[in-house]
Amino acid sequence: MKRLLATLAALTALPAWASEGERITVTGEIIDTWCYYSGVMGGPDAVVGSAHHTCALWCSASGIPIGLLTEDGTVYTVLNLGPQDNATGGDTALTLASHTVTAEGMFYARDGINYIVVERVVSDMGITNLSHEDYDVVPSFAIPEPKE
Amino acid sequence: MISRLATAIALIAAPLAAQDFSEGSEARSWNLYAEVPATFEARVVDVMCELTGDCPENCGGGERQLGLLRAADGVLVMATKNNQPAFTGAVVDLLPYCGLSVTVDGLMIDDPEIGARNIYLVQRVKTDGGDWSKASQFTKVWARENPNAKGKGPWFRRDPRILAEIEKHGYLGLGLEIDREFKEYLFE
Repeated sequence: MKRLLATLAALTALPAWASEGERITVTGEIIDTWCYYSGVMGGPDAVVGSAHHTCALWCSASGIPIGLLTEDGTVYTVLNLGPQDNATGGDTALTLASHTVTAEGMFYARDGINYIVVERVVSDMGITNLSHEDYDVVPSFAIPEPKE
Repeated sequence: MISRLATAIALIAAPLAAQDFSEGSEARSWNLYAEVPATFEARVVDVMCELTGDCPENCGGGERQLGLLRAADGVLVMATKNNQPAFTGAVVDLLPYCGLSVTVDGLMIDDPEIGARNIYLVQRVKTDGGDWSKASQFTKVWARENPNAKGKGPWFRRDPRILAEIEKHGYLGLGLEIDREFKEYLFE
């Protein structure tokens, strides 16, 4: 029975099963998924927007997955960001860190995680979440203190 | 037929998803709200390949997100973070194991309230019969790839691409003028 269960579960892992993506257009903020999910630096509201922009650059540059956080709280893990740029430490991911964008691409869901393969960033509204007005900067050392 | 089979699999997979992978884990706590120690066998995979069937060689050579296809239940775990407390991802550490079966040890983040499922911080990895390797290679690889960025301080204070972004748009990303005013307030 155990072997049957493992076989059935493994069947769900075949790429062919998961290849039925759905075309979607979504609007949301490009976020750093590790800080958002882990709570390592505070609640979800503190690790988005301008307050967290520098940290989002750090995490994105190191290849931590970026996400697209929509207004209703859904996070889409971004696997590709346009035809010429990857989403693992790629340049576009850096330039769009913390920006609110509308993106179109293919949606996939698996094991509780939503994914989007972005084919085109339709519009870039820049940073619209001025979270520094409530949280200053997160983490607090993100902006180095000026030397005397 | 397919939908019936999918339903059957979903019903069977539900209890499997609740399996406890903490037994035998020696993962170090990061004192995270939703962390759970987890060690398991898995195959290192290119996540986009798994989902779409678009599968370049060597899991994309570092340009793709990597996942851990868990042997026990076929769940695709997102390898989000490596073992270094330095804002570092896990791709560099797992890429040498692309396509291989490994055992990993680390912390699973499970916080349904914010949609965190199967998000993983990998602390160490080994192949069958091999020794554990710490998943702490990012900064070494970064230093090798950025020989002109030597200096004091952590990598993220010296990374040329990050510095270029901050120089152009400021630490808040809102422009240099807003940055200047904000720094005056912050360090007054």
